[in-house]
Amino acid sequence: MLEVRDLHAAVEGKEILKGLTLTVKPGEVHAIMGPNGSGKSTLSNVLAGRDGYEITSGEVLFEGKPLADMETEERARAGIFLAFQYPVEIPGVSNMEFLKASLEAVRAAQGKEPLDAVTLLRRAREACQHVNLDQQFLKRGVNEGFSGGEKKRNEIMQMMLLEPKLALLDETDSGLDIDALQVVAKGVNALRSPERSIVLVTHYQRLLDYIVPDFVHVLADGRIIKSGGKELALELEQKGYGWLTGEEESA
Amino acid sequence: MTPAEQLKQNSVTLASATQPQDGLTARRSEALDKLRLLPFPEKKQEAWKYTGLNALTAGQLERAAPALDADADIASSIPSLGDCVIVIGNGALTGQLPALPKGLSVTPLSAESINDAPPDTFFGWLNTASLSDGLLLKTEPNVKVPGIVHLVFFNQAQTPCHTTNRLQVELAEGSELTIIEHYLGSGPVLTNALTHVQAGANSRLVHYRLQSESADSLHIGNLQIDQQRDSRVDSSQLMRGNVLRRNDVHVRMLESGAELTMRGVFIARDTSHIDNHINVEHVAPHCHSDQVYKGIAGENGRAVFNGRIHIHQYAKGSDAGLSNNNMLLSNEAEIDSKPELEIYNDDVKCAHGTTIGQMDAGQLFYLRSRGIDEASAKRMLGTGFVNETLHAMQDEAVREWATEWLGEAL
Repeated sequence: MLEVRDLHAAVEGKEILKGLTLTVKPGEVHAIMGPNGSGKSTLSNVLAGRDGYEITSGEVLFEGKPLADMETEERARAGIFLAFQYPVEIPGVSNMEFLKASLEAVRAAQGKEPLDAVTLLRRAREACQHVNLDQQFLKRGVNEGFSGGEKKRNEIMQMMLLEPKLALLDETDSGLDIDALQVVAKGVNALRSPERSIVLVTHYQRLLDYIVPDFVHVLADGRIIKSGGKELALELEQKGYGWLTGEEESA
Repeated sequence: MTPAEQLKQNSVTLASATQPQDGLTARRSEALDKLRLLPFPEKKQEAWKYTGLNALTAGQLERAAPALDADADIASSIPSLGDCVIVIGNGALTGQLPALPKGLSVTPLSAESINDAPPDTFFGWLNTASLSDGLLLKTEPNVKVPGIVHLVFFNQAQTPCHTTNRLQVELAEGSELTIIEHYLGSGPVLTNALTHVQAGANSRLVHYRLQSESADSLHIGNLQIDQQRDSRVDSSQLMRGNVLRRNDVHVRMLESGAELTMRGVFIARDTSHIDNHINVEHVAPHCHSDQVYKGIAGENGRAVFNGRIHIHQYAKGSDAGLSNNNMLLSNEAEIDSKPELEIYNDDVKCAHGTTIGQMDAGQLFYLRSRGIDEASAKRMLGTGFVNETLHAMQDEAVREWATEWLGEAL
């Protein structure tokens, strides 16, 4: 599904990722953990194709195709979904109008007919229900005046509608209380399937109590310094990141 | 002779040539005298600093527009927005007047009925000096005129020429009216439009000024609104760019308790030019005005906004607000915005602000990351930017049409 090979990436000329390698197969859930400034958000942004995030060497393949050749919207149409750490407010564009445009674009690229208005509305309402988001949010401007938790749930709601092949969740758990976290986790778990891969980028182990990963990777200073199973997350919680980053320094 | 002097002379000649023997002769010659005294607008005048009139050297001031071709297909270009449609083609009423709604009369302007205080601008005087047909809309006191009156000013010509549109609206005490002033047409014709609104005591007007001529045309308009005691005026002014578009809007709140809401959207794409000069005068105490104008310029488009609020000495308890937010879509586009406040007493609440920015890169990325292509994403963001203004318009048919029509320009 996703193949990251010795990826080096820079933001404003400063190298942030320094040789990251990661393989994600269909059906797998990977958690990427790391301290602040380790490059977690840079990785998400590079994968989604944000301007200013430049791949300086190495490569990223999605289903065998180099991501560098694809525009941001092409990646989304191919099945990559990024749940934003800080979802953007877009006043004047209604959530429903936005969902319609997004779904139409993604479905068209997959050779599917656009959903008729009734079906679209029904599905959007179901997705809202799934993440405990009042249907009124469909009429409001995209994320406009939403609380932090509502924005995160709106991201998961979009993900449920778009049914991506690869979901990247960039610190979706940050700033959420336990109840909201459970709602988000329930949404993500509902999407787990043998064809779909999920990459959770997180600072806290807490999320992994609710979404159990197959693999855990520790990112520090732009590289994955340790990989393991779900028990690695527990170890990290007990010992902190210093245990590993210190280990690297002495190595 | 400088180009400005030449254009001035053309204007005077043009006005002198319009001399049908009718009831308006005396008014025309008075206006012609006034016109002779005024300098032609040039960039060295503050009010024309950002808008040059070089485009008019193509000949728009040399001849009046010919009568509209009898077989011109106007009907198909008029969207269905109103219940009573009145069409004026190249300055003259086409066909018969339609059946009018209860409480409204429509008559030709006469020397007796014409408001003798036109906006004191060069093109305002030229309008009067070259006037042959004008329309007077009058309401009966205390009647709510049902439906929407859709006035279509359709101006079309193959060669550069000038056409005069004149509308006078008088709302009697306690009456209510909704009108659309709609400018349509194409070709190198200069529309010189003057609309004079008098909102009587306790009357209510919902007014739309839609300027949707094609991009090759020109428009210089004056809108004068005089408000009497407790009158309420809600005016929406929507426009897309063309070769030259200039609007002077002058509102006088002459008696206490008057309320004014004005909103506007202007979109200048390609090489088009739009200039809006707004002047709201709080002459009497306890009046309330609220203005929101939004502008977008793309490619080599130019937009100018000058919003002046003038609170007179005796206008205590005035409440006035003005905001003008603008979005630039390219490095070559330019928007010049200037809010002006003049306050001559200390018992007022007054706020104004203007912003000029670019499309937000974060918003654009968000939309694209959901599969929406860049062009569509930009259109959505542009539409979102103006939607806030359109949402506040009262009539759904106009709102829907305007959303689509402005969306085409984004």
